[in-house]
Amino acid sequence: MFNLEKEIIKWLKPFHKQRAFDEGSIHEMEMHLRDHIEDLIAQGLSERDAFQRAVEEFGDVKPLANDEYLNIKRKTTLRSILFRTMLSNYFKTTLRSMMKNPLSSFINIFGLAVAIGACMVTYAFINFDMGIDRFHENKDEVFLSTYVVNREGKEVQYGNAPAPLAEMIRDDFSVIEKVSRVHDGNAVVKYGDNVFHESVRYVDPAFLEMFTFPLKWGATSSLNDMNSIILSEEMSQKYFGDENPVGQEIKVIVGNDLYKVFKVAGVAKEFPKSRIIDFSFLTNIENMKVLYPSFDFHSWKKQLNATFIQVKRPEDLATIKGKMEKYKRYQNEVESDWPISSFDFVSLHDLHLTSDQIKNDISYDASEEGRVALPFIAGFILALACFNYLNIAIVSAAKRLKEIGMRKVIGASKRLIIFQFIAENLLLTFIAGIIGFILAVTIFLPWFAAFSDISSEFDLLDGNMWLTLFSILLFTGIASGVYPAFYISKFQVVKIFKGSVKFGKKNLATKIFLTAQLILTCVGIGFAVIFAQNTYYQENRGWGYGQKEVLYAEVQESSDLEKLKSEMVKEPGVISAAGSKHHLSKRYETTVVHLPNHQYEVHELAVGTNYLETLDVSLKEGRLFNKNQESDKKSLVVNETFVQNLALNQPIGMQVKIDSIPYQIVGVVEDFHFNNFYYELSPTIFTLADEEAHRFLTLKVTDQSKVASYKALLKTWSALFPEKPFNGGFQEDSWVGFYEELDTMQRFTRAIAIVFVLLASLGLYGLIQLNIKGRVREFSIRKTLGAAPGNLTKNVVNQYLIIFGIAIVLGIPAAHVMNTAMLEMMFEDPLPYGYLGSIISAVLLIFVLAAVIAAQVRKLSKANPVEGLKVE
Amino acid sequence: MISKNLTAASTKPIILGILKQGNSYGYLIIKKIKELSGGKMEYSDGMLYPVLHRLEKEGLIKSNWTMDGGTRPRKYYEITEQGKTELVTEKVQWQQVNAVLNTLWDVKPSTT
Repeated sequence: MFNLEKEIIKWLKPFHKQRAFDEGSIHEMEMHLRDHIEDLIAQGLSERDAFQRAVEEFGDVKPLANDEYLNIKRKTTLRSILFRTMLSNYFKTTLRSMMKNPLSSFINIFGLAVAIGACMVTYAFINFDMGIDRFHENKDEVFLSTYVVNREGKEVQYGNAPAPLAEMIRDDFSVIEKVSRVHDGNAVVKYGDNVFHESVRYVDPAFLEMFTFPLKWGATSSLNDMNSIILSEEMSQKYFGDENPVGQEIKVIVGNDLYKVFKVAGVAKEFPKSRIIDFSFLTNIENMKVLYPSFDFHSWKKQLNATFIQVKRPEDLATIKGKMEKYKRYQNEVESDWPISSFDFVSLHDLHLTSDQIKNDISYDASEEGRVALPFIAGFILALACFNYLNIAIVSAAKRLKEIGMRKVIGASKRLIIFQFIAENLLLTFIAGIIGFILAVTIFLPWFAAFSDISSEFDLLDGNMWLTLFSILLFTGIASGVYPAFYISKFQVVKIFKGSVKFGKKNLATKIFLTAQLILTCVGIGFAVIFAQNTYYQENRGWGYGQKEVLYAEVQESSDLEKLKSEMVKEPGVISAAGSKHHLSKRYETTVVHLPNHQYEVHELAVGTNYLETLDVSLKEGRLFNKNQESDKKSLVVNETFVQNLALNQPIGMQVKIDSIPYQIVGVVEDFHFNNFYYELSPTIFTLADEEAHRFLTLKVTDQSKVASYKALLKTWSALFPEKPFNGGFQEDSWVGFYEELDTMQRFTRAIAIVFVLLASLGLYGLIQLNIKGRVREFSIRKTLGAAPGNLTKNVVNQYLIIFGIAIVLGIPAAHVMNTAMLEMMFEDPLPYGYLGSIISAVLLIFVLAAVIAAQVRKLSKANPVEGLKVE
Repeated sequence: MISKNLTAASTKPIILGILKQGNSYGYLIIKKIKELSGGKMEYSDGMLYPVLHRLEKEGLIKSNWTMDGGTRPRKYYEITEQGKTELVTEKVQWQQVNAVLNTLWDVKPSTT
């Protein structure tokens, strides 16, 4: 049996395969064929004959396609020309549907814009971070010498270097072009009345040839001159203001009789922002022999902060690495506790990013959290915005069914409808992209730059940035538009016009999307709650010792300390005073403790006899040090972590060796935080320090006399040492950086939390508002029939109840897991988790939902049902 | 039968000429050409469309989809002002060709 419809469809198939024809042309030709067939039938032909003749007269597809293709090819921008009319139509449609629902459009665009802005800031941050210390021209040829030590089965890499290494390898390897040792020392720098504590960097003259630090004034070669010193721009400003200081003399004081007068020979140009390695004062390392006469440059026991080498070609490193055996032997002869297993070299290019794995490294990596947290936050906002968008798009598509039906009737194919929706989406996303970019440049980035050290400007010529922005937009546009587009395009026209399409109600995918949005909302709110809780916890927890009533001062000589101490104990507010070589939060050493069967690295604090009492460190068992210095010379007090980590049953009385000298543990103290809460508790030992080694004076004062005692301390200091700047303060202030950072983080997380909650609530609001709008006729009828606001609420709530339930059940644990994982990454010792935070989040979420629904129902119950029943 | 090349060359003025008489759609245009030429022009129906599309692109004609009263949707073409000017030019050119040919054919072969 001849089926005309089937034959026509079959005939059309090859046309679809030709790229020359768009949907409109194919449709046009189909109409032609149908007209022709109709005419022929009217002339008395059978359907089959009419079809065959019409097809025959129409001609072959191929030559036709070729001709048509020439048409297209004539203009190079073929797609844009082809689609211009279509796109301008879509553009209009998009704008119209945006204007129809300004609120949900605003929610969509604003949400996406915020998300895109967040992505841009993340890009800026990562881009900045990847650029750290990479501005040096020789970054690929300059390497930091490191060594690897096997510690209890774990390979640990160290970034410092034995003092004699640099000179020896320079002489031994011809492929090494330049070598520079780097060491830092604290000093008091004096120019006229300007006297400050500073850090001086001692280097070899090659340093400024290896690193790209151009000078503003003076010459780099001045590093060869023993009496010259080079200042950073910042230091030049600090001491000399805007004047050119070259030729001026400054005094660098490291001890009572240890000082040297230097001539300023250069000032560096302002350093690039993306740097970690820099300097304040730079001078020839040979000066250390004058200022630190006891430092033995020939001893393999002495370590310098860093040794850099520069090779001609990076490939030469393999040769050098292979021949490091000799130095390994030298080092291991004197340092047998932890023999070096190998030397390794890290290029300046990779140093910042690997410095997390290198101990005692001149560089550091403080942005790992940022690299993890920012993409997470940006991705989260983007996901939330996409789901908001998706759900709103599905609901609003339901209102455009007639438009879609109409388009289908006049010949739009499924593909074209999909194209329309995705194009529309892309357009929206690009609008959001522009707004997002403006937001990023004007608000987000300056705001973020205030928290971190990153530069607050986008490099508008950075091609990668545009590529990233464009990819994000494309991805977002397609990801959020693809489902509604495919779903809508599947509808049958007849059903649309009949009104029998129930859209987005019983569909599983729609429910999943909605649930996903709610889960993300949960996580967002959970984030806000848990981080707020953690900040409160971190701010209010104790340090494990009496940090509040303690003052300290650091001096350069033990004789100064004695003078200061004897004056200060006369003060009425001072309860006790103690000297020490090291000081909590300020200075410690790492030492190796030898037990009979293994060795263990610990923090060591060498202190005076009553130091622990003065700091109120609580004794757990055994005793603290005796007042008699001599009798306790070989005694140790350890902390709980030490006992736990070594699993000691009977710590008191136990013998251990340090540097082959036997010590006995006499006491165990409770754990205390020696460094801020980002660091985990470390195993720590206290030893008694010789009084000549004391550099810190610690004073315990009464709570009421805190301020008076501090003033007295300052006054005594300036009376005793008028030449020296005061170095000390409240013990509490030693963590000032930590609390500032905590505060910064709190402001940051608060802002992020506000964005999360805002986006989440807006998303829900938009969704429910649209939904209720779509059912306004139904609700009006219900109202007319006497439904109270309560009934209406029940009706709205019922629709979402199960989904909300599932979302809360899944979302709260998800929020808990994700947020605590993030906290754990940032703090070594985060808040002890309870489910309180999760419960608060759930309550908050329910509150947000309730508020949204209540607002809508209120509006509904106030509205006149007549208005709702009017049709168009 | 008129040759393919000549047909192709004359399509443009013919289409513009037909559209000048009133808006029309593909099927009707081809029907009209067939009628006018008495079937002497060698055409496959389909070949008309690339030409129509080309003229549209050149701005000589414009189109829109129209649905009137129950019929199937049709793409109507309409001649533009530019198209009308073009038609005049074409007309002049064809008349010139025609004149040349006429002169040639009117001259009796030389009998020397």
